[in-house]
Amino acid sequence: MSSSLTLPADRTTERPRRLLLALGGALIVATYLFLVIVQPTEIAGGMGSAASLVSLFGFLGGGALLVGGILPMLTTSSLVIMPLGIALNIAIGQVAGSLGLQIYLDAIGTVLVAVLAGPAAGAATGALSNAVWGLFNPFALPFAAGAALIGLLAGLAAKHGAFRRVYLAPVAGLVVGAIGGLVAAPVAVFMFGAAGTFGTNAIIAVFRSMGDKLLVAATKQGLLSDSLDKIVVFVVVALIVYALPQRAVRQFPFARTHRVLGARSGQRAMTTAGAGSVR
Amino acid sequence: MPRRRILNPLTELLAAVLLVVLVLVVNRWEFSLAVLLLVVVPAVLTSGRVRQIGLAVLLIAGPLLLSSLLLHGLFFPEGRTVLLDLGPARVTREGLAFAAVMGLRMSVFTGVLLTAAMTLDVPELLATMTHRRWNRKLVFVVGSAVGLIPHVALRAQQITRAQQARGLVLGRGPVARVRALLTVTTPLVIGLLVDASERNRMLGARGFSSPGPRTSYLPDTDTPRQRAARRAMVVGVGLFSVLWLGSGVLA
Amino acid sequence: MIRVQSRSFAYDDGVPLLSGVTVTVEPGEYLVVAGSSGSGKTTLARLLAGAVGSDAGAVFRGSLTLDGETVHFEGGPADPRIDPAVWSASVAFVAQGAWGQLSMMSATVGEEIAFGPSNRGVPHERLRREVDDVAAALKLTELLDRDPRRLSGGQLQRTIIAAAVVQRPRVLVLDEPFQGLDAGAAADVAAAIDVLRAGGTGVVVCAPMLPRTAPEGARIIALDGGHAVFDGLLAEARWAGLRRYGIGTDGDAPRIGAARMRGAPTTAGRTLVTVDDVVVRYPSPGEPGGPGRGERRGRRRPPGPGRTPAVLDGVSLQVRAGEILAVRGSNGSGKTTLLQVLNGLRRPESGRVTVDGMPILRRPTGTLAGAVGYLFQDTDQQLFERTVLREVSYGPRAAGLRRVDALRRAADALEAVGLSAVADIHPYELAFVQRRLVALASLIAAGPSVWVLDEPTAGLDEPARTGLAALLVQHAQGGGAVVMATHDAAFSAAVAHRTLRLEAGLIQEDSPDPGS
Repeated sequence: MSSSLTLPADRTTERPRRLLLALGGALIVATYLFLVIVQPTEIAGGMGSAASLVSLFGFLGGGALLVGGILPMLTTSSLVIMPLGIALNIAIGQVAGSLGLQIYLDAIGTVLVAVLAGPAAGAATGALSNAVWGLFNPFALPFAAGAALIGLLAGLAAKHGAFRRVYLAPVAGLVVGAIGGLVAAPVAVFMFGAAGTFGTNAIIAVFRSMGDKLLVAATKQGLLSDSLDKIVVFVVVALIVYALPQRAVRQFPFARTHRVLGARSGQRAMTTAGAGSVR
Repeated sequence: MPRRRILNPLTELLAAVLLVVLVLVVNRWEFSLAVLLLVVVPAVLTSGRVRQIGLAVLLIAGPLLLSSLLLHGLFFPEGRTVLLDLGPARVTREGLAFAAVMGLRMSVFTGVLLTAAMTLDVPELLATMTHRRWNRKLVFVVGSAVGLIPHVALRAQQITRAQQARGLVLGRGPVARVRALLTVTTPLVIGLLVDASERNRMLGARGFSSPGPRTSYLPDTDTPRQRAARRAMVVGVGLFSVLWLGSGVLA
Repeated sequence: MIRVQSRSFAYDDGVPLLSGVTVTVEPGEYLVVAGSSGSGKTTLARLLAGAVGSDAGAVFRGSLTLDGETVHFEGGPADPRIDPAVWSASVAFVAQGAWGQLSMMSATVGEEIAFGPSNRGVPHERLRREVDDVAAALKLTELLDRDPRRLSGGQLQRTIIAAAVVQRPRVLVLDEPFQGLDAGAAADVAAAIDVLRAGGTGVVVCAPMLPRTAPEGARIIALDGGHAVFDGLLAEARWAGLRRYGIGTDGDAPRIGAARMRGAPTTAGRTLVTVDDVVVRYPSPGEPGGPGRGERRGRRRPPGPGRTPAVLDGVSLQVRAGEILAVRGSNGSGKTTLLQVLNGLRRPESGRVTVDGMPILRRPTGTLAGAVGYLFQDTDQQLFERTVLREVSYGPRAAGLRRVDALRRAADALEAVGLSAVADIHPYELAFVQRRLVALASLIAAGPSVWVLDEPTAGLDEPARTGLAALLVQHAQGGGAVVMATHDAAFSAAVAHRTLRLEAGLIQEDSPDPGS
């Protein structure tokens, strides 16, 4: 049956650009390994010009390749929530940043998109979010790859059931946050000498006063702050998505097919809606 | 009023990014300072938005510079030349030098990128991206996100007021804060998602998935000359970096 | 040219929202689909627009026909998918809720209108011409350079219509296009629709009530509970007894027995609200709601010297227990600001406001919820709980009531607005009218003596409008007071004891309503 009014029956969306994805992922991993293994000695003497260049290009370039590989495979329903994830990240992150908190709260939108639309959309939202934020706050720019990683991991956690129970969300947040902290630390150190808010720098100062190297101190601080931050973010997102109407969740194939929210994933029949009116 | 722009936003943005790259490549405080004084300051002064940009740079870089100075000025265990011993904290010459160099680098970084971003005409940038055949999904996500940010902030404000009218009193403790955050974010997210599902249908109806190139309502302000200039700038900075870093390694 | 045949339409095999309905729309026709909330008119509108909702968990069995070509649906995964880009070239659709229909990536109205054709690769010069043509037809030419996010309701609605019809479709389907618009804006939108119709475009309008006037030959289809209960001319529809299906006529007075109505307020009633010489100014130029909105490219004008103009310029009034006060006036006359002063959402520059003898100007808004209940024009900014019952019990809980007591009061309030049956449903699963009633129930549950309502009848269907009138009268008779801003002349004439006319921040007229 063919009709000019209908779309072709085979539901192939464009295939992901696997080469771009692999290159982007490899570039990020290589950059991270290079920074951690090769450079720690250099920081003591001065600051590595190569190290900051590598972290800028490796992480930004890797993030750009990932976005380029992911975008073609996203459906329009995933695409339309990415801007709102980005806007939420920036709006809430901006407020949290101006309060000088120890936590950032700048990933609520990323995790929300990851939970509803999956790891790929989450990763792209994270990366683009920091790119767009860079227009208002350039310091967000180099952390794009880390943000993409958070989105990716949050989506994977959601796929495997981390949002089916309230108590699982903080556990997933802890793990994702720890990984995110590990990745963000070298960027902060090599780009900006680990400058952050007063809150985060106070924590680094404590470790420094105990004689830690800057990268080590920043990594420890990243582990602490990012884990705490992501625990809060994951719990907040879990509570938000539980409060969503079925109708809103139902429009996302990822959330439906993987039963991301357990019994709340939009499969229960609506029976009584539409009933009732004013006497 | 915003200044009259001469170059296409893509060209200006690329120039800013390449300048940052140069600063990182050269990595000397003299060069950073020169860029700051000879490029950033004049650019800000002629931007026509001196106050806004100055304030933004101050608000964003200021706290970072100060906390960086405190961190490295007081706690720099690698420092040898102790200027002042305060028990656990020691002021060292090396720490101060490190803070100064990093501070200079951060100032250039913020100054260059913020000046470029804050004089940027986003619609013109999106139009250029469209005319240059960039991925339309990318153009949509970036454009829509930039457009949504003020909308989200305004809506959050309205929701806060609505919730206050219903008895929400903003508390001080961390639990009360998270609760307040939820009472505001939940309707915000629901409203945005409802809009998004309608937008999903709208994009389909407006032919967003149509094959073939997109066109733009706005004229193309890009010129072949600028395109050539952009390529030349990238090649130039690339070559310079290789030579500079190469000579550094050999020396 | 379009035919929708719906054997059944339901979400995830729940209660059918539209069953056994067949609707045909001919070119150049004017069709009004009338029905109360939950009658299935939105579902029908979406089907006409080719949206069968299979990607959102809807199950549609039936067929869609466009220009003799029929597509069949069996409600299974093997169903064909309509190509929305092709369908919309013939049938344009304007849904409820303006924000979701903006791309949000356009800085000007012109770009927003051009969004569809530019996606299809229409060359630049032709694109400009098409946009100019449609803008001229819909009187949008002067708005082409404005930021679409900063338009008034009527302008925004016309922009969205323009964006939908720039492709020159032969039929335009509009779902409640006048919802939330004041009389002037609604007239502008109606004029725009008339222009399109005169150009030969068929028009389908879904609305909760029958229109007061309609073009010659307008056809009405009335829906109730997912079935068509009437199909014929408007003149016939007026005498077809559609009120039993909850379908009234626009601008009619709510039908509550004249004897039960109003009943002169006991003049001895104590004063509940006093507003004394209140002055409110715009926050600052460029801020939302202030002057200077909607400038080119949305850039803000630098703040000029001197003070911003006053929204309220020395307003004084009193409201007694048992009284219903209507505040009327055009858009921008300061109505909403006056209402917000009453519960502390807006802090006046000078003047005094007391509620029940208590000065409120220094108290946080949140602590006033028990004394003054406020119904926002946009309900959806308030709802955030998982079920209607929890939603309604939020107010009493926030006021410090025990859980059990709060839930009891919530249940009582839901009973009062007739929503007991949906207490366990998510508020957003309900139709617009019911969400509005949920917000009203939340207000009632908090037990305030003063109700402040912003456009309470906007978008309501006949049963809800009548029910609201009864609730207001009952509240006043019980010793409460009501202050409402409204464009609904018939409603305020039937319910209010007194009407206040506000113009440019000043009270122009304070008159008792005839017949009270």
